[in-house]
Amino acid sequence: MPPVIDLDKCTGCGTCDAHCPLDVIHYNEKKNIPVVKYPDECWHCGSCRLDCPVGAITIKFGPEMLYV
Amino acid sequence: MGKGIEQFGEVLKTDVLIVGGGLAGNNAAIAACEVGAKVLIADKSSIERCGAIAGGVDHFMAYLNTDTWDTREAYLEWAGRIARGAVNLKIQNAVFCRELEAAIERMDRIGCSLRQPSGEFYRTTSFGLPGPYMINFNGKNLKPLLAKEARRLGAMTLEKCSITNLLTNGNGKVIGAVGFNIRKGNFYIILAKTTILATGNTNRIFQNPTGLPFNTWQCPANTGAAQTMAFEVGAHLANMEIVRITVVPRGFSAAGLNALTGMGGKIVNAKGEEFMFKYHPMGNKAPRYKLVEGVMREIEEGRGPVYIDCRHLSEGDMKHLKTTLGYDKDTLPDFIEQKGIDLRKDLLEIMASEGMQAGPSEICSSGIMIDEETKSTVEGLFGAGDCTDQMRCSHVCTTGGYLAGKMAAKYALTFTQEEPSVNQVKELKRKVYAPMRASGKVSQKSFEDTMRRMLWVYAGASRNEYSLNTALEKLDGLEKYFNEIKAGNYHELMRTHETRQILSVAKMMCHASLARKETRFGVFHRRTDYPETNPEFDGQIVVVNTDQGIKTFFNKLDYSTIPEP
Ligand SMILES: Cc1cc2nc3c(=O)[nH]c(=O)nc-3n(C[C@H](O)[C@H](O)[C@H](O)COP(=O)(O)OP(=O)(O)OC[C@H]3O[C@@H](n4cnc5c(N)ncnc54)[C@H](O)[C@@H]3O)c2cc1C
Ligand code: SF4
Ligand code: SF4
Repeated sequence: MPPVIDLDKCTGCGTCDAHCPLDVIHYNEKKNIPVVKYPDECWHCGSCRLDCPVGAITIKFGPEMLYV
Repeated sequence: MGKGIEQFGEVLKTDVLIVGGGLAGNNAAIAACEVGAKVLIADKSSIERCGAIAGGVDHFMAYLNTDTWDTREAYLEWAGRIARGAVNLKIQNAVFCRELEAAIERMDRIGCSLRQPSGEFYRTTSFGLPGPYMINFNGKNLKPLLAKEARRLGAMTLEKCSITNLLTNGNGKVIGAVGFNIRKGNFYIILAKTTILATGNTNRIFQNPTGLPFNTWQCPANTGAAQTMAFEVGAHLANMEIVRITVVPRGFSAAGLNALTGMGGKIVNAKGEEFMFKYHPMGNKAPRYKLVEGVMREIEEGRGPVYIDCRHLSEGDMKHLKTTLGYDKDTLPDFIEQKGIDLRKDLLEIMASEGMQAGPSEICSSGIMIDEETKSTVEGLFGAGDCTDQMRCSHVCTTGGYLAGKMAAKYALTFTQEEPSVNQVKELKRKVYAPMRASGKVSQKSFEDTMRRMLWVYAGASRNEYSLNTALEKLDGLEKYFNEIKAGNYHELMRTHETRQILSVAKMMCHASLARKETRFGVFHRRTDYPETNPEFDGQIVVVNTDQGIKTFFNKLDYSTIPEP
């Protein structure tokens, strides 16, 4: 499962989009929010969370990984 | 106006082009800038986090001359044993040994020291090592720190750029590359005096045990772009037959095994038996291919599930382990926690990971054959990192990446900039964007899934002449559908090119596997029709693209002497 972004905390810096190695997160310029556009392509590397300056990102593993 | 190549896209000029801004690519950039060359790094993501070590690394292999096992000679002797038939000791000496001291110093300088805060090295043993060569360190920020240094030295970057093809002059010399922006779609024509390919190993090539293709041990953005591009221009590739597999927590194909076994974690079966000693005298610290074989066999023969047991570790070791695990795979501690597991009290279930192409050992990979100067067999083209046949893992990608940068810059400063023909650029552009106009009768995802499932059955951890020929026939059949894959946007166009690269690597793999008529590295190349290792195959199978299709030949390697420093 992909990262979960807390939009209340997010300041809209766009770092998670820029740094994601898999092009999973796309910053939506119109709505000014980061969108997890390709959740199935997340590698769970944690880069988005590591570099989010305000700690708005958490990594949640889904049942398809926890209980397979 | 508009008669030249500029009519097709944005033309960029550089001395050294580095394709792939991962660990090797950044070290190459630093070196090339230091030599004084103009450097451009192109990557599908940003050089701050892209590639295998996005979320960090935790160990770096090195000999430090403290004891008889801790020398260059001992390291090379071990290398020649563990990777016999794949590693070229002369080249390992050049890409690793000669560059090691400078690399350790460089890591100190950029702020990612291999030392503990006390100034000491924390060293452990795993994977069949003759002594504790693995330096544990905090490599969580190695990538952004390397990127910072490369930028400080003047390296330019082209980010969110997928490179698809190399450009050549009339004599077949590589003179740059083309690619496109994965968001906006603009076409880039990059003219470079020398080009370093550094796009990592090949992933998403075999069925994933969880059924999730991006749940891979190595970075799923690495799909054999370098191997494919080099092959297309006639470069020689080696070690392509090898399937690499590792042991990972069940459900999450995450790195971290070295931390677990290095700290003394025991691998046990359902009965609690420490079974690895049955398969190798070093038990839990056996070479990786032996660990994989042990885990697979215990499960196949009905003694699974298989676990890693860390309950006996001292409080201090457990603390060290927990921090190190997060250094290697940032989200592994979250996974363990979300599974409700406490390593002090519970066992962690493990499994054999998906297969991938990444060489047989921790020192050399599968891909572009390089020489002692990291040159490929094609003029103007260099290789660095996991996409080459002689570099692998953080230590060799750091040292060898740096050497590649130095060499490519040195040659670049003696070469002139050349322009490709208008026709070449026009034709490449047409090919690159063809999936945007395709019918869409076949989806990229199902195409790739079919290929993965098929390859695991016929060319995976168990293969023979018939199964490999069947795999090749099926690849040919499948390939006929490739042109039906439609990319709806440029992100999908990137994925479609990745699928094409995986297909191309798969073919090379099958041909090389057919040529290696023996079994070597356990399940990493298990030919059921030739179950023994044959010393006559102490060398590499080399793959090359010819007018008559893929050809292979044998390159005998010498392990009788350790090369001079
Ligand atoms: C999670 C993890 C932990 C690891 N930990 C360790 C460790 O502790 N110690 C150790 O020795 N080894 C470790 N390894 C292995 C080691 O990190 C790799 O061997 C090494 O990083 C490979 O470096 P590279 O430069 O060849 O590839 P990468 O660093 O993966 O870089 C390849 C780059 O190429 C880019 N790319 C791919 N295709 C294209 C294209 N067509 N166009 C443009 N760009 C492209 C990718 O985006 C990527 O950034 C680890 C690997 C992983 C995945
Ligand atoms: S965890 Fe990694 S791959 Fe997944 S969205 Fe974050 S940065 Fe991208
Ligand atoms: S990095 Fe954090 S703050 Fe910046 S856009 Fe992403 S979620 Fe928002």
